[in-house]
Amino acid sequence: MSFLSIVFAAFLAAGLLVYHNAPQQRRPAILLALSFLFYATWSVWDAALLLAVTAGVYGAARLLDQTPTESRKLRLLTAAIAILLVLLVGFKCARLLATHLAAAWVEGNANVALWLAAPLGLSYYIFKLLGYLLDVYWGTLPARRDFTSVALYAAFFPQIVSGPIQRAEDFFTQLDAQRGSDPDSFVLGLRRILFGLFKKVAIADQLAVAVASTHGHPLEHSSLELLLGAYCFSLQMYADFSGITDIAIGIGLLFGIRGPENFNRPYFAANLQEFWRRWHMSLTSWLTDYLFVPLRMTFRHLGNTGLALAIFINMVAVGIWHGPRWTYAVFGCMNGVFMIVSALTLKKRNQWFKTRPAMARWRAWVAPLVTFHLVVLTHIFFQAPDLHSALNYLGQMLHLVPHGAVAAARVDLASFGLTYGRLFQALAGLVLMETIHWAMSRRDWTHGFKRRGLRWAVYYAVIVMVMLSARGTTSFIYAKF
Amino acid sequence: MTHEEVHKRLTAVFRDVFDDPSLGISDSTTADDIDDWDSVNHITLIAAVETEFRISLSTREVKNLGNVGDFMKLIESKAR
Repeated sequence: MSFLSIVFAAFLAAGLLVYHNAPQQRRPAILLALSFLFYATWSVWDAALLLAVTAGVYGAARLLDQTPTESRKLRLLTAAIAILLVLLVGFKCARLLATHLAAAWVEGNANVALWLAAPLGLSYYIFKLLGYLLDVYWGTLPARRDFTSVALYAAFFPQIVSGPIQRAEDFFTQLDAQRGSDPDSFVLGLRRILFGLFKKVAIADQLAVAVASTHGHPLEHSSLELLLGAYCFSLQMYADFSGITDIAIGIGLLFGIRGPENFNRPYFAANLQEFWRRWHMSLTSWLTDYLFVPLRMTFRHLGNTGLALAIFINMVAVGIWHGPRWTYAVFGCMNGVFMIVSALTLKKRNQWFKTRPAMARWRAWVAPLVTFHLVVLTHIFFQAPDLHSALNYLGQMLHLVPHGAVAAARVDLASFGLTYGRLFQALAGLVLMETIHWAMSRRDWTHGFKRRGLRWAVYYAVIVMVMLSARGTTSFIYAKF
Repeated sequence: MTHEEVHKRLTAVFRDVFDDPSLGISDSTTADDIDDWDSVNHITLIAAVETEFRISLSTREVKNLGNVGDFMKLIESKAR
């Protein structure tokens, strides 16, 4: 059941009716039942696995809380983490293996690959449960006594398809607060869902046409067109991923749970460290707390070498979190190397610019542009199906590879499925999206939005753009992780 | 070691790590109050504190620090 289907809309409406008419103390159980119902529509077996994993983690956390000695605690934690990681890596690699098997030996039987495909949202719920276990081990959170809340935390249906990865403490605090049915939260939720739909349909899906053409048939395009295609993919992924995050946060708000933000206008970041603090924030802050900080602690007396090691391992983890593919590993390595260079030179660069105010003014404009281009470069690897395709794309884009008959500087919009109208619409959508993001980042934004005229002007603009753009449903990029 | 002495030496460590000779800290100071206090500098700070006070801190202890006041209490308990 996809978020962008009529069946889901009906499920959501019925779920909300049942949930908000139920007594307060029954609501977590109802939300849990809805979550499992939603998840079971993808696969009953995957739902059974989710339930089993959650039960295991619930028990392990209780045991951790009751174990008196440090060495036993550590053994228990290590065993629990190992099992969760084996499940995560095992399923992700089984899919890869099965695809090869299906291609080589079981020709024509794609069911083998499907059967062994990683369960939907596995990366998201395993990370949530790993974080919960570590919180209990570090003593920052007590183990929960009631199973329902832990199961709901893992299975919470708005977040299971593609995050955001909410922290256990944040989720349980909101659950325990037992907020009633809050109209403000409901309005905010609907607003976020509309904004998410707008990003997906009016921006991401428009750019997707160009990306499919440039990345699918790079030989038929000029260098300049491939560069435009690379920009289009980075912008498409931003609109697509922040769109599904908005929908997830919005649906969560309808049930009184506010999920964490995932994006903070990342393409305005002045360096790569800042970019990663503003892009897929719920994953990067998770990795910062549960991987980077422990690694930094381990290597803390190695000076800059320790810092570089921690950054590199962390960024490779960001890459391969997306799946066992060389392109994701290279994506992580590139980010690691860029970030190490940036982190180790930042202090020196800041000092250099401090004594040159005129240059510093230019830096404010140039730095985000440089950062954006580094990100676009890494996304070429992220998007490509394999390393060969990525290198081929890059070679042709930079005009390093012989290019056939197409002139390097040709820009023929029709050749990659775009029209000026569609391009203009996507760009206008991007400007409107970033303006709304900017307004939301200001503390007083709700005051401005209280002006009814402005509010409804934005609603209408967004709805009209969604209706003009809708061309059937497509899947979200981040729903496959 | 007195509270004042810990405060004085910790302030010097903060000034060195954050490269700001005028930086002042109090019990209620948190990472939100100092611009460059991110996860990278946090551990640099921990390592510098360990060297300065000749103590060893665990990830769990570091995780449970809420503000500079917690940090000073932890140092005082360890540096006896």
